[in-house]
Amino acid sequence: MGLPTAPMVTIAFKDLALTNAAKRGMPHQRICFTPHPVWGKTDAQMYAYLEGNDPVSGKPLMKEVIDALTKPLTAEESLSGTSTPPVGAPTFIDTSDNLQQYYLDNGMTDFMPIILPTQEKVDAMLKGTSHHPDEVVGKMTPAQGAFPPWSYTVKQCAVNAVMAGATPDYFPTILANASTGISALFSSTNSLVSAAIINGPVRDKLTMNYGIGAMGPFSQPNATIGRAWTLMSKNLDGGGIAGETYMGSQGNIINYNNLIVPENEKDSPWTPFHVQKGFKPEESVVSFFFGFCVTQGQGGKGLGMKPVPHFHEAMSANCAPFASLFGALFLCDPLVANGLGDLGFKTKEQIGDWLQKNTTVTVKDVKTMLFSGLPRGPEAANLTDDMVIPKWPKPDAFNFVVVGGQTNPYHQLGNLSYRLSVSIDKWA
Amino acid sequence: MKMNRRDLLSLLGVSPALLATPPAHAQQTKTAHAAAPSTEQKFEALNPKGTPPPVRLVPMAPRLDTLSGKTIYLVDTGFMGGGTFLQQMQIWFGKNMPDVTTVFRKKAGAYPEEDPALWKEIKEKGNAAIMAIGH
Repeated sequence: MGLPTAPMVTIAFKDLALTNAAKRGMPHQRICFTPHPVWGKTDAQMYAYLEGNDPVSGKPLMKEVIDALTKPLTAEESLSGTSTPPVGAPTFIDTSDNLQQYYLDNGMTDFMPIILPTQEKVDAMLKGTSHHPDEVVGKMTPAQGAFPPWSYTVKQCAVNAVMAGATPDYFPTILANASTGISALFSSTNSLVSAAIINGPVRDKLTMNYGIGAMGPFSQPNATIGRAWTLMSKNLDGGGIAGETYMGSQGNIINYNNLIVPENEKDSPWTPFHVQKGFKPEESVVSFFFGFCVTQGQGGKGLGMKPVPHFHEAMSANCAPFASLFGALFLCDPLVANGLGDLGFKTKEQIGDWLQKNTTVTVKDVKTMLFSGLPRGPEAANLTDDMVIPKWPKPDAFNFVVVGGQTNPYHQLGNLSYRLSVSIDKWA
Repeated sequence: MKMNRRDLLSLLGVSPALLATPPAHAQQTKTAHAAAPSTEQKFEALNPKGTPPPVRLVPMAPRLDTLSGKTIYLVDTGFMGGGTFLQQMQIWFGKNMPDVTTVFRKKAGAYPEEDPALWKEIKEKGNAAIMAIGH
């Protein structure tokens, strides 16, 4: 703006604010800090913050604000020019144990042992793709708009893939993940979750597990493709630094290797997810979801009905507490998908339509919810508190993927929204 | 974690241990590990980091001599609680610096998004701004 400005941040975001100001070219920005939190405080408590001290400087807060706007600039504050942020040496030399510790100490791991990315192993990984090692794969940021995105090459992705324990034949899928620029460690206070749905021949080529225990630690490709995504989200974009570029208040255990879901197309009565998105069945595709956490759907209304449990009623009841900011992704065992077929839901679209119409909430309740909103537009003026409305305005908020080994008719569900689908074959 | 503002430009969120460009000997960068026996095999492992964009240093705008008689925009960036906080600040200015005019505005869009119309208004009608973030 060209005018003196005093940014104010709560103390909990101190490191994030200072480092982000530096990354944006203002390392000496005069940031004033309040106690934390501001949200949920009364007017009197907020006024007391203003009458109190800046918790960083220890000086009266409003004096700090006034000084930020009036104190003459120092020479450092007036600097212009360009600098290139360093990212360290291209290689590190030491014993195996020391290198393990080095990668860990410098925030390049998920705090579990890695496969050391030697030149030999990285070269072998690079044989898993036809793309040149120096080709730029994409750009990634821990939070769009908040942090400038970093770029990365095929080779830099390969280093992370080796560290994760992946093998070269997994590499095209890892590159497809990287090509989207989607960070699995999105910097939000909400401890968000990322999911990748895998479809097509690649699932069998890599012997991915889409049967018993598919979403657990029972398959090398499932586990390491997901872990590589987390490591790339730390190393390729400077993300995943708790307190600086990752702000999830509690964190999320799914972030260790993310939700990697190869769809069980063989046992599913429904159209594979990638075909729903316009790809051919013979194409290998990864599709991305993002949002709040994943929960189980074992219990719930309707599941005790015989002879066929009323899965649709349980699914509706289980997703009802979700925030409508994100959609609902249902991860259905084939027994659930086939059971829904027996109940007349022959397609994913049919069950989605039913859930959209029958998953409802009162206007009054929506008004008390966080991350759920009322309809916009002309109809908003006619809403009254006792009206019952669909929680999500459109059926496309509901998505379905079939996964599991048919040991029981269960579903899991996530408060997750679909983002995009990309070709894996392109990266072979 | 304590941050030194003077170090921020060089650190830019990157560990100081990573600042060198030739191959780094990992032992030298650590503090708590005994040196390995010289006979133990050593490996050369690659850096997994991506490539950050260059940083353009932005000089700060000249400061005001005084706030007296000036118009300050109080800009709510949209985080929860920020608006209420700034409204309390308006009250503070009214009580303690009544010759300062404050104007409260909520920035359009999500918190990281620019609001060119508001920036234009502040530049035309204001002398300074305070931007507050909630939580």
